[in-house]
This record gives sequence, C-alpha cells and structure tokens, in this order.
Amino acid sequence: MPEALREMQRRFLAGIVGDDADAEELIVDDGRVGARRRLDIYRNNYRASLTGVLADHYERLHAYLGDEQFDNIAQAYVKAHPSTTRNLRYYGEALQAFLAKHFPADGELAELAALDWALRHAFDARDTAVLDAAAVGALGDAWIEQRLALHPSVRLLRVRFNVAALWSALDAEREPPEPVAFASPVALLVWRSGQQPSFRSLPEAEADALARFEAGSSFTALSAHVIAAMGEAGAMEALAAWLGRWLADGVLILAD
Amino acid sequence: MIEPDRKTAPSPGFGLGLRPDHYPDFLRGPQPVDWLEIISENYMVPGGKPLAMLDAIRADYPMVMHGVSLSIGSDEPLDMDYLAALKALESRVEPLWISDHLCWTGINAHNTHDLLPLPYDAPALDCVVENIGRVQDYLGRRILIENPSSYVTFRSSDRSEWDFLAEMAERADCLLLLDVNNIYVSARNHGFDPEDYLAGLPADRIQQMHLAGHSDMGDHVIDTHDTDVCDAVWDLYASAIRRFGSVATMIERDDAIPPLADVLAELDCARALSARALETEHA
Repeated sequence: MPEALREMQRRFLAGIVGDDADAEELIVDDGRVGARRRLDIYRNNYRASLTGVLADHYERLHAYLGDEQFDNIAQAYVKAHPSTTRNLRYYGEALQAFLAKHFPADGELAELAALDWALRHAFDARDTAVLDAAAVGALGDAWIEQRLALHPSVRLLRVRFNVAALWSALDAEREPPEPVAFASPVALLVWRSGQQPSFRSLPEAEADALARFEAGSSFTALSAHVIAAMGEAGAMEALAAWLGRWLADGVLILAD
Repeated sequence: MIEPDRKTAPSPGFGLGLRPDHYPDFLRGPQPVDWLEIISENYMVPGGKPLAMLDAIRADYPMVMHGVSLSIGSDEPLDMDYLAALKALESRVEPLWISDHLCWTGINAHNTHDLLPLPYDAPALDCVVENIGRVQDYLGRRILIENPSSYVTFRSSDRSEWDFLAEMAERADCLLLLDVNNIYVSARNHGFDPEDYLAGLPADRIQQMHLAGHSDMGDHVIDTHDTDVCDAVWDLYASAIRRFGSVATMIERDDAIPPLADVLAELDCARALSARALETEHA
C-alpha cells in the first residue's frame, strides 16, 4: 500500500526543517543533480526566507549586529523556532526572549529587538479614530468623564539600555554610541503617527499616566490620581502639557 | 457574442505585481498598466499603511489577488481562519479573481512559507481536488491555481505535471494561472520539453500568465524573481500566446525590485510579443 500523502509530507517537512536525510528517499535521484542537492534547494529557501523576514522585522538590530552576526543569530533562532504562523508577517516575535536568554551579557540586544518589533507592530496595527483636538472639541466637556484607551498601535516599553539613542543612530546610518545601562529603567512610547511608526522616551510619571488608560481610566480619574501624587499646581501643569501632546500625536482613543 | 460555456473572464490586458517600492509611482499619477496583482498575505494585516495604500491604488486600478499560503495540497483540513481572512480581503478589494499555487507550505502546524512540491499521483490529486472544491464553495467563485517551479520529483509520481494540472482543473472545475517562467525552470530541472507541457494544458481554463526571471546555476535553475525575463522564457511566452490566444499577462518581480519604468519596459515587451504572436497565429 502506498504511503499516505500526509506521512510523506511529514517526512519531507522534517527533511527541510530538521535536515532529516530520510526525506531524500522520497526523491528521484536522476544522477544529474542528486537528491540531496535537490532537497538542499528547499532547505536553503526555507532558511533564507525566515532569516530574511527576521532581517526585515528587526532592521535596526540587523544594522547594529552587522550581516554576519545577525545571520548567525537568525539561523540559530530559525532552528529553535520553526514557524507555526500562516503569515510570515507574524514570524519572529520570540527573538527578543531568545536574545535575552542567549546573550544575557548584552542586554541592549533584546531591548533593541523589542523596539524594532513594537515599531513593526505600530506600522500595521488596526486603524481606529483617534482622540485629537477636533474630536475633543466635538465631544464638549463630556469627554473627560469617558473611559479612554491607548490606540492599537501604541506600546509602552521599559528599557534599561540606551536603545533609543542606538536605534536613532542606526536609523540615520551613523555610528551607534556604546551601549550604556541606566541606573533605573526608562519608558519608551511607540505609536503610529499618520502612517509612520514613531517613538519617544518619556518621564516615568507620564508613562504611568498612559498606563492607566490601558485599564480604561477616564481623564478625570487620571487627574485625581496625578493631583494626589504631585499636588494641584504641578499636576495641572503636567496634565496640560501631556494632554496637548497626546492629542497631537494621536495616542488616545475612546474606550467605548 | 455570448459564450455560455466560457469559463474564463475576458482578458483585462497587461498588469504588474504591485510592490511597496512602487507605491509612490502609482499614487503620483496614472501608469500604463491595465490591472495590478497584489500578494494577498501582504494585506492580511489589521491596518496602517498597507491597507491605506491598497485602498488608494485600488480606486484607480482593477486588481487580482494572488496568495502564497492557501496550501491547497496539504493533506489536512484547510485553515479556516486563513480562508476567512482571504474572504474579508476579497470583499475589500473586489478582485477580478483570486489565485494560489499547486503546492503545500506545511503540515502539522509547521509552516515553511515555501511553495513545496507535490507528488503527481492519485492521492495528491484527490487531496487537491477536494480542497479546491471546498475553497471554491467557501468563496463562491472559481479560483486560479498556478503551476509551481520545482526542484524534485517524488518517486511516487506516476504522471506529468501537466497531466496532473489538466485533470485537477477539470475535476475541481477551477482555472489556471500559467507561470511561463516556472514551466521553463521545471523543464530545465526535470528535463522535459516545455512545448509538451503547453500542449497538455486545457486552453479554456487559462485565465492569467506570469512572467519572471530566474537564476541559472548551470545544472539547475532557481526561480528567484529577482531579474529580467530571459529570452528563452520570452520565446515560450510567444508560443503560449499562439496556443492559448490573448491571456492576461503580468511581470512578477519579487526581489531586487527595479524602478517602475524598468518593469513597465518589460511589460511593453510582453505587449509587443503577444501582439506579434497573435498576428502570426491569425495570418
């Protein structure tokens, strides 16, 4: 009885993903280009497409490491993480954890990867109406009581290294500065500005304020919290400055 | 004249694969292209620039959708999440048609993202025919299946690729996307005559053609889509047009993307060659 197609496909896949030589038995060896070399074309395609997509997703990490080092890491990652996603767009999210595990002494690598990934997420995150100055004007005073949320493109990262400076230098194709560890973590806000992914570092108090919107806080509830923390005068000044920027950047939406 | 038995739609002319490098050209003004083909997966994302570009450019050009992840030949249940996303994109784009490849991309939840070859035997044919039927029922339309480029022949294969495609198309009642470069690549890799291939195909089911470049490695050829269409593929294209008549044709460039003007110049070659082939045919 012939081998079931499914079993044959399992063997062929193991031959490509796992370099299993058994798969060569499935192939006609015509004496011109041997079975192994023929299968190698698929093995190479597989690795090249996955490492290539990692290079796309982690563009600044790639620039930081250079072709050879990046490729070594990407090959090791592909070996450890066969793709289980249908769309290549979503391959590679675990690279950050992979770097943290395998390069614990180079903490900037995982953080640079996390920033690249957050920017990649911002690029094609869901579209939804942002709360901007015009929307606030149309809603009138009522908006301050409404539950708010962060735009789907927004990610708040906390980093221990100067990856913002590294990323910006690499983006401008300048020599990146030496990696430096901060005494305490710094917050980075990633969002999509128009169609363009952007990021900036922000003070801890502002990051904490934005994090409250992840839990559906209203602006009134946030204000009460900030007043309690900073006192009325400082809070009013901070809230006015933050809000102006949030509305201009388009990082907030109505939660409901 | 009404042709009640006609399976294919009339040819919309000459098109290109839409690539992000060329977005600015298409937004700047009209380009001499009759239609565009999108890679479906590139727009199966939640939002942002890809979908904004898609909508803006779709407003000016008819489009067709070309997928790389349907995995019609995997001997396991179809991925219904993928099909739902495909259908959602279809209602956004309202494409002239939808295509994917005669291949499988993975099994048991592992995906190679490559267009893997099938054995050309009865069990694979049954699998593919059944899956195409399910997809067509789900989408409510015929789909196009493209001939792959391949580098291996399975020991269990007992028929030619063209015989497989012809029987598949008939049994599944689907259409074909003929990649002329893939025929050339596979002919070189497996040592068959590409004219035999063309002669074995059902002319009434060929809806679209792809033209692309490849890398010649001497004793084999790799389908890289990163260079110009070569002379031998142009000759084979002319031969295909003489056989099948006017068929929607496009240049498929996926890597080392040149300026749009260069791809448009290649498309002009296709126009000229097609016109000449049709003249000789009718002379």
